[in-house]
Amino acid sequence: MLSRLWSRARDLAWSDRRDRETQDELAEHLELLTAEKECSGLDRAEARRQARLELGNPEEAREAVRESRTGFWLDALLKDMGYALRLLRKRPAFTAACVLTVALGVGASTALFAVVGGVVLKPLPLADPGSLVRIYDSNPARGVERTGITSGNLQDWRQRTRSFRGIAGHYTMGRTLTLGGESEVVLSAQVTADFFSVLGVGAALGRTFTPEESRMALFNSAAAPVSPDPVVVLGHALWRRRLGGDPAVVGRTIVVERRPMRVVGVMPDGFAMPAPDVQLFLPWGLPEQPPRDQHYVSGVARLGPGASLARAEAELRGVAATLAAEYPRTNEGWSVRLVPLREDLVGDARQTLLVLLLAVALVLVVACANVALLSLARNLERLPEASLRQALGASRERLLRQFLMEPLLVSLTGGALGVPLAALGLTLLKQVGAAVPRLHEVGLDAKALAFACVATLLAALVSGLPAAFRLARADPAPDPAAAPARLAGGGRRHALREGLVVAEVAMAVVLVAGASLLVRSYQRLRAVDPGFDPRGVLVAPVFLDMEQYGGGEKSRLYYATLVERLRGLPGVLATGAATALPASPLGPDFERPVWPEQSPHDERVRRSAWVRMVTTDYFRTLGVPIVSGRGFDDRDSPRATRSVILSEGLAQRLFPGGAAVGRRLVVDYSTTGTYPYDVVGVVGDVRFSGPRAEPRYEIYLPHAQRPYLVMNVALRTSGDPRLLAPAVRQVLHELDPAKPAHGLYALADLVGATYARDRYVMQVLASFAAVAVLLSLVGVHGVLSHRVRERTREIGIRIAVGASEAHLLRWITGQGLRLVLAGLVIGSTLSTALARVVSGLLFGTSPLDPAALLAVAALPLLALVASLHPAWRAARTSAAEVLRAG
Amino acid sequence: MQRAAGGASLLSISIGDLLAAEKLDLLILKTLALLPLHGYGIAKRIEQMSDGVFRVTLGSLYPALQRLERDGLVLAEWKASENGRRARYYRLTAAGHRRLSAEQKEWERAAAAIASILRTT
Repeated sequence: MLSRLWSRARDLAWSDRRDRETQDELAEHLELLTAEKECSGLDRAEARRQARLELGNPEEAREAVRESRTGFWLDALLKDMGYALRLLRKRPAFTAACVLTVALGVGASTALFAVVGGVVLKPLPLADPGSLVRIYDSNPARGVERTGITSGNLQDWRQRTRSFRGIAGHYTMGRTLTLGGESEVVLSAQVTADFFSVLGVGAALGRTFTPEESRMALFNSAAAPVSPDPVVVLGHALWRRRLGGDPAVVGRTIVVERRPMRVVGVMPDGFAMPAPDVQLFLPWGLPEQPPRDQHYVSGVARLGPGASLARAEAELRGVAATLAAEYPRTNEGWSVRLVPLREDLVGDARQTLLVLLLAVALVLVVACANVALLSLARNLERLPEASLRQALGASRERLLRQFLMEPLLVSLTGGALGVPLAALGLTLLKQVGAAVPRLHEVGLDAKALAFACVATLLAALVSGLPAAFRLARADPAPDPAAAPARLAGGGRRHALREGLVVAEVAMAVVLVAGASLLVRSYQRLRAVDPGFDPRGVLVAPVFLDMEQYGGGEKSRLYYATLVERLRGLPGVLATGAATALPASPLGPDFERPVWPEQSPHDERVRRSAWVRMVTTDYFRTLGVPIVSGRGFDDRDSPRATRSVILSEGLAQRLFPGGAAVGRRLVVDYSTTGTYPYDVVGVVGDVRFSGPRAEPRYEIYLPHAQRPYLVMNVALRTSGDPRLLAPAVRQVLHELDPAKPAHGLYALADLVGATYARDRYVMQVLASFAAVAVLLSLVGVHGVLSHRVRERTREIGIRIAVGASEAHLLRWITGQGLRLVLAGLVIGSTLSTALARVVSGLLFGTSPLDPAALLAVAALPLLALVASLHPAWRAARTSAAEVLRAG
Repeated sequence: MQRAAGGASLLSISIGDLLAAEKLDLLILKTLALLPLHGYGIAKRIEQMSDGVFRVTLGSLYPALQRLERDGLVLAEWKASENGRRARYYRLTAAGHRRLSAEQKEWERAAAAIASILRTT
């Protein structure tokens, strides 16, 4: 093989020399024959004349050699290509349909491949990413799968484990950055001293924090670090955007939360930990006695050399068990879970993407099968030609090449169009797929382009080979006597085409089944009552700072004034605020143990509840119904007895029989004390983090009694909440120009984001399914039409012997139905087997939901429609005409 | 196609007229199976072996040799010929030997089939 390639290359490069050689060789041949003839007594001139006569013109021979040398692969290729192009041009509609089919298939699959490659397969842009893990606290007894770790345990873990090279903690929150008189809220991360070294990333400019800087930076959660010399590291994007990429930024001072801070470094471009939009890093020194019961720290660790995830997890669980024994009050029941960092970042998007990739592969297969079918049906008309050429000595190889040229051209054109389509698709996927992590890293890279090439070639092969083989196997001596066999239908001739149609229908069935399951699941998801009404609500997260608003009274006053001012805006129906809002990712959100005052020592009634500080009117603003008692009002003033409102689920759990109002609930605030609260009301349960998660136990405390710095302000209006944005900005600016909102969101959009992925997958899969169904129907139609054309004689005879139109209609549609039913059976079996793949994406829907069956059952009806046209044509065949022609 | 060559025996047939190019390849491979030959030698041998029935012209022989060389079935090199002149000698490669035996078998099968058809008719 290699030597052959080499000699071909040599032919091209040295063709002049070879040409001269041939000339010499031919002259020598002529000379030898001349010499022989001379020996038999002829004079030289006569001998030469006869030799030439006998051997033919050496110039022509030389030409022929030259042709056979270069001609084979370049010339013949061009010839085949020209031939194929002529054929394709003759049927523009057919060609366009095929090219478009391939372009769509290649484009869609390449775009998805790029996403899957970038999101799921590509390693994280960090040193040795395989040894990075996330650490979560878990408390199975309380139904807590994964939650944050505590700073108290973190220090013990470091000292008592050996499997880790380092365990770092970080905490993300919005902080106000003021530069050149302009304030904005930027997501920041306060990170423990070893955060950067655990990740193995240094600053691109300047440095990260020194141990001393970290030790000095003590935090009081929502406040800026209390440190004599506050320092900060900037994210690359923020440095570019707000500091113009100033190379001399190190040493400059910026203002964070009203405190001047010295910039010591800038992180490299592409550093996206803990999240891409975190652009401000602050040092974090853990206090002497950090709390063990406040699970708000995110843990990230690097495994030591040779340590496996399982071993490290086992070791850390052992330590957690020891700590639970040592500190039962805070650590009872708490254990840990380790998750590879990449898996953690990509999360369940992985499954979503793999399902979509599978779906797009199915569409590609259907598309190719369709092109194969179309060209097969068409090429069968060329069978006599193939037979003739084979009889004339054309090699099978050559025939194959010639008939493959057509699908190859179609696929190449389709593939070439597919790449810009993929780029377009990727842009679309990025726009609508905000729910997919790491999507910002994705682009049409070399790998994706290579994939496009492979997909194109596969499309060429899959679509071309059946037709080509059929032709290359053509009987070299077409026997006219074989015609009656054709009339009888010759089962095997159709096996290939029918197989393709059945396969096509089967793939379409799988897609339809999958899509209808997702539609069903989505409907169920949307039908879930979230417990509040997001329509017409605008959300403005506000982060006050300790510096200006510390001490409680000031922040209470600020929010009281803000809510009052906002309520006065035209069009505003109600205004309230809460530390954390449903579906909104910003704001402090934590759990505390609670129990009824009358049973302090009964572990069975102790519950962990999420704590929310809310202003008066919050429930009315969000549309959360008050089940019993009352909402917060002026009675819940700072000096009144402490009051609390329970969520309905918690109330039923702690005070069965609806007797919650008027009782007292104890909340264990480990750091500030344990107090009883008067239960003044019970409100409806809220699905806080989307429709999939069950409502959690919640308690609400009046902001007036427990002021908080960070609040999400909500406004209800009767119209489009986004229209309120300028007025809200204005009010915030008037109150404190250094405290803008961290963005303004329509709550409905935030809630929509929790469904976004479900809707996305459903829409993509549904459109794939629609394409597949359409293509397979085209396939059914094509095969039946061809068969009718092929059997015109038989149909003519049938009509002549008295077959009715109805009979013919039944006959042809029956054949179409047979194919579809076969595809249906195979596809249904296949989708049952594949149901497991989508089951993880479904909500309240069994993979064997009857909805899927119903949708699939509609296919035969569509097939009937597709077979009507060929059937009608058959029925209109004129017997006399056919018989005369035959 | 090679036009009929005049002057020779009336019985001789130019190969291009009768056979597809591939069959000439088979004959060339056969003649080279015994020993390496130059183009003239090949033509001569084919003529001898067919008792003068087949005659090979330049226009069919050399393109065929070119094809076989390209396909790696024969190797060519310049060597001194028996009369002391330089000539291009062709010799069969291992792949050439394999192709020859395969083609020979197929040809024999086809020939036998044709013969049997002719007998029964």
